[in-house]
Amino acid sequence: MLGIEDCLAEVMAIPGALDAIMIDQTSGTAVATGGGNRHLDAERSAAGLGETLRAMLDGLATTSPGGTVRIRDVIITTDDGHHLLKPLETVFDGPLVIYVHLDSQRSNLALARHRLQALSGRLITM
Amino acid sequence: MPTTENVLNGLAEDRATGALHLGGAGTLYLTGGHVTCAESPAAPRVEDLLAACGRISDHAVRQAMRAQDEGRPGGELLVAQGVLTKGELEFCVLGAVLDAVYFMFDAPGHRPWFRPGERHWLGPQWYFDVTGLFQECKRRRTQLDRTWPSAELDSLPVVPVGRVPAQRVVLTSLQWEVVACADSTATPADLAHRLGRPAYSVLLAVRQLAAAGLLRVPRGEIAAAPAPPGAPSETPEERPAAERRDARVPPEAPAGALPRRVAGVRGIRDAVAEGAHTSGTAQWLPPATGDPTDVNLLIRLRNALEALT
Repeated sequence: MLGIEDCLAEVMAIPGALDAIMIDQTSGTAVATGGGNRHLDAERSAAGLGETLRAMLDGLATTSPGGTVRIRDVIITTDDGHHLLKPLETVFDGPLVIYVHLDSQRSNLALARHRLQALSGRLITM
Repeated sequence: MPTTENVLNGLAEDRATGALHLGGAGTLYLTGGHVTCAESPAAPRVEDLLAACGRISDHAVRQAMRAQDEGRPGGELLVAQGVLTKGELEFCVLGAVLDAVYFMFDAPGHRPWFRPGERHWLGPQWYFDVTGLFQECKRRRTQLDRTWPSAELDSLPVVPVGRVPAQRVVLTSLQWEVVACADSTATPADLAHRLGRPAYSVLLAVRQLAAAGLLRVPRGEIAAAPAPPGAPSETPEERPAAERRDARVPPEAPAGALPRRVAGVRGIRDAVAEGAHTSGTAQWLPPATGDPTDVNLLIRLRNALEALT
């Protein structure tokens, strides 16, 4: 059983992880941050990433035949690496979103996704 | 009168442990100068959130409350029972504290009163910086205003429109819950308690629905709506001078003078809120009407303008 800080430490232990943020998506709050990026403004990043996820859900919902959608994870590749967003549904509020920025040279996307999936099962029991 | 912010900053500097009572607005619990728990009547408590999602019965909560002591706080007992993980408890406390604090800091007319050594039954699960809390409240307020700049619907019963002004509507899961639970009498705060969702999240969902033109103002409710306990009041007299927005007409302006134009959407929001809550004190404002056609017209105008861009 994991606490939020332990979970963040395990996210940062994923090979190639540069930064990580735990986000409460509904309010856009940065719950916890990890990594050494001094330029990272966690508050604003969290709000922006929360909005990204919301916009993506809106877009996917309109294109999906049933009109409903549930995102397992989101992978965004940029010039400076991969960005993974993993929403975890909680019973109180949320979803709680794990965001992790991975180095494109040193990381393995499949491994990172697998680790995030395993972690989510230990943080939240639904 | 000392403001909540001053008192809290002082307690944080002293690394105080105990409970800060804010009258009817709620109670803040501190551990070593950090806020570790907060309860406000305007927001569901941790045990309400836990009970609403069916994870834990009222009986189990009462048992944990009784069994807890200094060495084994109630939170640890719940985790040891296996009803929820440490991460879930932390996330729940975190959400509940930020939620309660949002409705607490703006509530006027209370005298902060600190009782050293008083603890919350859950024990410290998450430590909040006092400055961080105030920043978060400010950010949340901005987020609400950016979503839909009128506080008019915040304390009124939520009434979804009968016919949707579009062919297709996309809702988030929380917006769905709000619409499904709305019975034309429940306010956003009532809905939060019924749904077991944080009051701020419900408020945000209501503003999002309002912005999408999916809600209407209940007829004849504006003037009669009472301010819910602990809801942010917007009277200029009760707010610290530094926070007062300079663009507004000073309250001592002669009655009957033309209302001067106010800057920005915040001004409109305040004007609406003051008109709704303090009829009588703010005579320089035009009277708020209960006519829903005005609001519907504004919503339609706004939607039309957005469609143009």
